[in-house]
Amino acid sequence: MLRKLKNSLFLIYIVLATFLVTLPLFHIIFSVFINGFPVILKAGLSFLTETLPPPGEELAGIGPAILGTFILTFLSSLIGIPIATLAGIYAAEYPNSFFSRATRTLLLVMIEFPTILVSLFVMSIVVLPMGRFSAIAGAIALVIVMMPYVAVYTEQALKSVPERYREAAYALGLKRKQVVFRVMFSIARKGIVTGFLIGIAKAAGETAPILFTAGGAYRTFFIGLDKPVGAIPLLIYDLVQQPYSNYHEIAWGSALILLIVFLAIFIPVRLSVREVKL
Amino acid sequence: MFILYKEKIYIHSFIDLNMKKVVIALVLILVLSNCLQQPQQQQKEIIIYGSGATFPQPQIEKWISEYGKINRNIKIEYAGKGSGAGLNDFKEGLVDFACTDPPVSEKMWRELEKKGQILQFPIIIGAVVVIHNVPEVDGLKLDGKTLAEIFMGKIEYWDDEKIKALNPNKKLPHERIIVVYRSDSSGTTEVFTAYLSLSSEEFKKDVGIGKLVDWPVAKVGRGIGGKGNPGVAAAVKNTPYSIGYVELAFALKENFKTIALKNKDGKFVNANAETISSAIKATSVFVPEATEGYKEDLFAFINAPGEKSYPIVSFSHVVIWQSYPKDKSEAIKSFFKWVLTDGQKHVIEGYVAVPEEVAKVGLRALEKVKGT
Repeated sequence: MLRKLKNSLFLIYIVLATFLVTLPLFHIIFSVFINGFPVILKAGLSFLTETLPPPGEELAGIGPAILGTFILTFLSSLIGIPIATLAGIYAAEYPNSFFSRATRTLLLVMIEFPTILVSLFVMSIVVLPMGRFSAIAGAIALVIVMMPYVAVYTEQALKSVPERYREAAYALGLKRKQVVFRVMFSIARKGIVTGFLIGIAKAAGETAPILFTAGGAYRTFFIGLDKPVGAIPLLIYDLVQQPYSNYHEIAWGSALILLIVFLAIFIPVRLSVREVKL
Repeated sequence: MFILYKEKIYIHSFIDLNMKKVVIALVLILVLSNCLQQPQQQQKEIIIYGSGATFPQPQIEKWISEYGKINRNIKIEYAGKGSGAGLNDFKEGLVDFACTDPPVSEKMWRELEKKGQILQFPIIIGAVVVIHNVPEVDGLKLDGKTLAEIFMGKIEYWDDEKIKALNPNKKLPHERIIVVYRSDSSGTTEVFTAYLSLSSEEFKKDVGIGKLVDWPVAKVGRGIGGKGNPGVAAAVKNTPYSIGYVELAFALKENFKTIALKNKDGKFVNANAETISSAIKATSVFVPEATEGYKEDLFAFINAPGEKSYPIVSFSHVVIWQSYPKDKSEAIKSFFKWVLTDGQKHVIEGYVAVPEEVAKVGLRALEKVKGT
């Protein structure tokens, strides 16, 4: 009897704790919807296409920031994901070599690295020599931030595949390349795709890396990779610091757009990539 | 991680799937960017980039939008990062102009001069106001000396004799004063501490003037730091019996109770368009020519004479180069010329237009701007 009681008490405790852990997530989604949805309804479709209005007036839109976020995310994924995936494969394929161990450690350090320092670093090596804030500088900073996530996830996913599949694949006469990319990758794809998604989500949602690199542009649309570009998180950061209620409303609307973009990338892909049952 | 019960391996071509997506995304981006670029190519538009002080940012955005209605071919992007960051961007050539609240220091001026002649002129006026959150009273009056003592932590309660003496008819509560100050480096703090230092020798000696100072009141546990104007505003709003300082625009937007300050002529004045322009008119002769902007003295505009003059006012300046590439020089001239003339009619609440004699400093400077 007492044992059962203990058991159910502990179960209640775990459920409560889980609830508490996920509570902030639901609160964020809820408050962003409550505050952001009326704004987008009021502003209409032009919220996605118009440029930023002057303070204290209408809502207009955040078109340049949305386009900027897409460009930055796309560019950084294009550069970052292939490199990071290869690094992850290397770390998983040669687990005992010195360089691989060093790579792993460094990747873990990079995950914890303050993103604002990444921003400063890219400013000094890209922005200052170029003499201009630019989309490419922002993308490079985001690449540095996203790569360790992608690499670590790839490595972990590949490592979780039981050794016997590799042995079986070799036994069938496959080359190492085929073993890695066709057998191991396919089995571990859910974990790897999760890594990609987290990397992409990081790139779309980070503010600090682009603070000193992207420059920001909210009244002019994208005109080139070597020109300043805006982004939704950066815009939100700018807007909430000002006392104007229309800016605060736009910031809520932007937050909702960011959330929708995030969920739109995350949920379908996450669901569509089936887990491989071994 | 994986459940080991089904010996089945999907050999989906993972890579191919991803390649397809990449190609689709690439095409999408190309189409999108083409759509957006087509109309622009016909007009040949010029974009000017600026960065700097956050204080004039709303006003600059207003100007950008109004100017955009007149001249569609010139676009301006402004990023509010703080006066110091803006000047750094400007020095590195990352932006075409910078805005700074305090005038450029002589040291910075000399550094900038190595890269070419620079021009500095005021574009808008602001004021620092003292806000409070004492629910019981309204319309409080203070003088600089008492204010300095409050911010030094010497006056502990709202019903202190010194505050009572200035507000004889008010029923002041016996509550501790909580002081809210800016925790980040800020031009607002510099102007405010300059005023307190002018009013109190003791404050000048113990605390001094700066963008970031050590507030003695923080050490006795009655101080709260807030980041930026919004931080201070929020802290004052949420802390009963607190006092703080913010830019006028913030005080107006958030409907704070402000404190009337005693000016040089002994009158108590609140900050508004009339009292601020009165202060500037009394001191406009101290605005130096644009080519020697470093000579501008922050103090000259504080505690200005005149019955109606509000004591804590400051200019927000713009810094530009004397020479630019041809098309850019025309764009910069056109925009700032408009700002200093017609633009001064589009001033939003909390800011005050520069008087004509001060605007002329800027207009003369713009005459000098050349395209190379």
